[in-house]
Amino acid sequence: MRRGLMAWDPLEVPASALADRLARLRAELAREGVDVFVAYTNIARGGSVWWLTGFTPYWNEGLLYAPAQGEMVFATALSKRVAEWISSVMPAGEVTTTPRPAAFIGEHIARDGAKRIGILELDDFPAGHAQAILQASPGVELVDVTQAFARARNESDAVERLLLTKADALAQAACAAVDVSSAHARDFIAPAESVARLGGAEECFTLVAGDLGSSRAFVRTDSMGPLGETFAARVSLAYKGAWTRHVRSFAREAKAQQAMDRAHGALMTFALQSGESLEQAVARNFGSLGEIVNWVAEQPRGSYPLAPVANMAQSAQGFTAHAPFVLDVELAIEGRRWVGARMIGL
Amino acid sequence: MSKEALAARRSALKEAMTRENVEVLVLFGNNWHADHLRYATDFGIQEGQGIALVREDGSITLILDDPAECERARSDCTCETIFAPALVQEAKKQLSRAGNHNIAAAPYHLLPYGLLHGEKDLRVTDGAKIVERLLMTKMEVEIDAVRKAAALADEGYAIFRQAARPGRKDYELVAEMESFFRANGVPENFMIVGVGGPEVRGMAPPGGKILKKGDMVTTELTPCFDGYYAQICRTLIVGEPSEAQRQAFAVYLEAMEAGIATVRAGVTAADVARAENDVFRKYGLGEYVTSEYTRVRGHGMGLFPDQKPAILEDVNIVLQAGMTLIVHPNTYHPAVGYLVLGDSLVVREGGHELLCGTKRELFSVPLQ
Repeated sequence: MRRGLMAWDPLEVPASALADRLARLRAELAREGVDVFVAYTNIARGGSVWWLTGFTPYWNEGLLYAPAQGEMVFATALSKRVAEWISSVMPAGEVTTTPRPAAFIGEHIARDGAKRIGILELDDFPAGHAQAILQASPGVELVDVTQAFARARNESDAVERLLLTKADALAQAACAAVDVSSAHARDFIAPAESVARLGGAEECFTLVAGDLGSSRAFVRTDSMGPLGETFAARVSLAYKGAWTRHVRSFAREAKAQQAMDRAHGALMTFALQSGESLEQAVARNFGSLGEIVNWVAEQPRGSYPLAPVANMAQSAQGFTAHAPFVLDVELAIEGRRWVGARMIGL
Repeated sequence: MSKEALAARRSALKEAMTRENVEVLVLFGNNWHADHLRYATDFGIQEGQGIALVREDGSITLILDDPAECERARSDCTCETIFAPALVQEAKKQLSRAGNHNIAAAPYHLLPYGLLHGEKDLRVTDGAKIVERLLMTKMEVEIDAVRKAAALADEGYAIFRQAARPGRKDYELVAEMESFFRANGVPENFMIVGVGGPEVRGMAPPGGKILKKGDMVTTELTPCFDGYYAQICRTLIVGEPSEAQRQAFAVYLEAMEAGIATVRAGVTAADVARAENDVFRKYGLGEYVTSEYTRVRGHGMGLFPDQKPAILEDVNIVLQAGMTLIVHPNTYHPAVGYLVLGDSLVVREGGHELLCGTKRELFSVPLQ
């Protein structure tokens, strides 16, 4: 659950920026002949509703309804007592708490006389909610508008970049705070969690690959064991809803650590040059340091705050070069595994 | 969790599937509702979404739409794991390959729309009957985990008390808690807080409030062990409690103890709620046990921190031995604000086993 700082600062997220985003979405929906828009949100899939409202439910679930004109409506099954709190941290849209949010939205749709209902990620939309909407507004057609949403969100605006910049600084500071002298992975990673949350992270996932010699799988604290000769920390965090990741590798042996620091340095200075593909940029930045084993680029996609959009096998699945992205790289350097990740393009 | 405990869970699931004549059980999950998925796979999903296909022969396929989560599952779990960015399409493909079987799914209302609709619709029924009872009523190996989680909740609250000092921000307290929990192997914790006085009507995530003299600081901590959650609710005062705060707390203590004294196998959730609420009504505070001021008077806990049964006067689920609950008469008090107090316990034949060991008192923290 989200249990870190959740607060709205109008200097960070002006309501006008959210209004601009909604206008872009409405223009895309109109092009597809869709009357209204509905998006689902929960803590795992908060990306789209956050982009439109600045809010992610800390728990439970909700539905955002954007009519063709007028105020958006956010309906959530969170209890009545927290409606006032949600309004205080959600700068766009009216809030309703109800045990049946989809039926509530369906009734709105019926009142508005909408016929073509644009659903973000229709395939992934909870079937129970779809059924409730169809029951409350008989005769409507549910239409998938995932592509229209993607076109509207194609660019990362100044507000999002500012939040991402803060998130990135926090993630870097958290990774730098790990205790490399620790014998156990839990003691190694715990200070990172503290730094991230003291810095105002809304959410923070701290994982460790405890022995890069045997596996690059990052595990949670309940599966962690002693640290090996080489190991890595992975911090994924949200600041005011903007998500980033940072991965840093470490070695016990000084010479190995120097090689890892060189790779980390290459990651920290990584930039796409004009006209260059991601694949070419990865090769240019890391090719001289070791064998490139794998790389993945992540960007927000629909309701997912971060999702793979390009990788070594399929270099372009939806990658947007002019928007920030998390680059995750794995190298083999002199027989040792190195992994690193950070936000690029801020 | 131990291989034996997971085997016991899977065996119970298989038995329930056989009883309901179900050949394939589809379990859906994400970081919010991870419980169904975890019961069969023991994987605590953190990012993205997942679907587990549990077959009558005992084989399980876990499909995840996040590549790093998939790597973690392959490291942590014993079942077959597939990475599929198009989760629904992959699940459909797997189910189609299985043929025209009796398929059930849970939690049914959260199941992706695309899995139930399309050119070749699958006939899938609601699997709640198979899973819900298993999630609510625990085996002793599961209760052991809840017991360990409760011990962590007690330790966590001691850290929280140390962290709560005048001048600190509410989210700084959470930071200390979370660092403590990570260092002690706890990957997840459900936690909300409240800071202030009569203006505070509930708890929520921290918003940056600074603790000051006289504030009531409320929290519910809910760490997990092996995926099983246990909760503790306590209130502390920054400085010495006022007489009004002491008097209010006495009502909540009496209500919680009345509720806990009612818990035993065979009574209903409503009986427990009524015992708590009668205390409030006795003191003329009946208005404050309605949904205007409070959500529930306690709830079940297990692989989900807030599972059935909800402790409410209109919930007639019969408590059974092995259920794990928190009894918490948390609500708004007109004189002092939102106040919380709650302990976790196990329902036993003829009574209960208390899991929390923290003193039931209105704590105070020094001003310096």
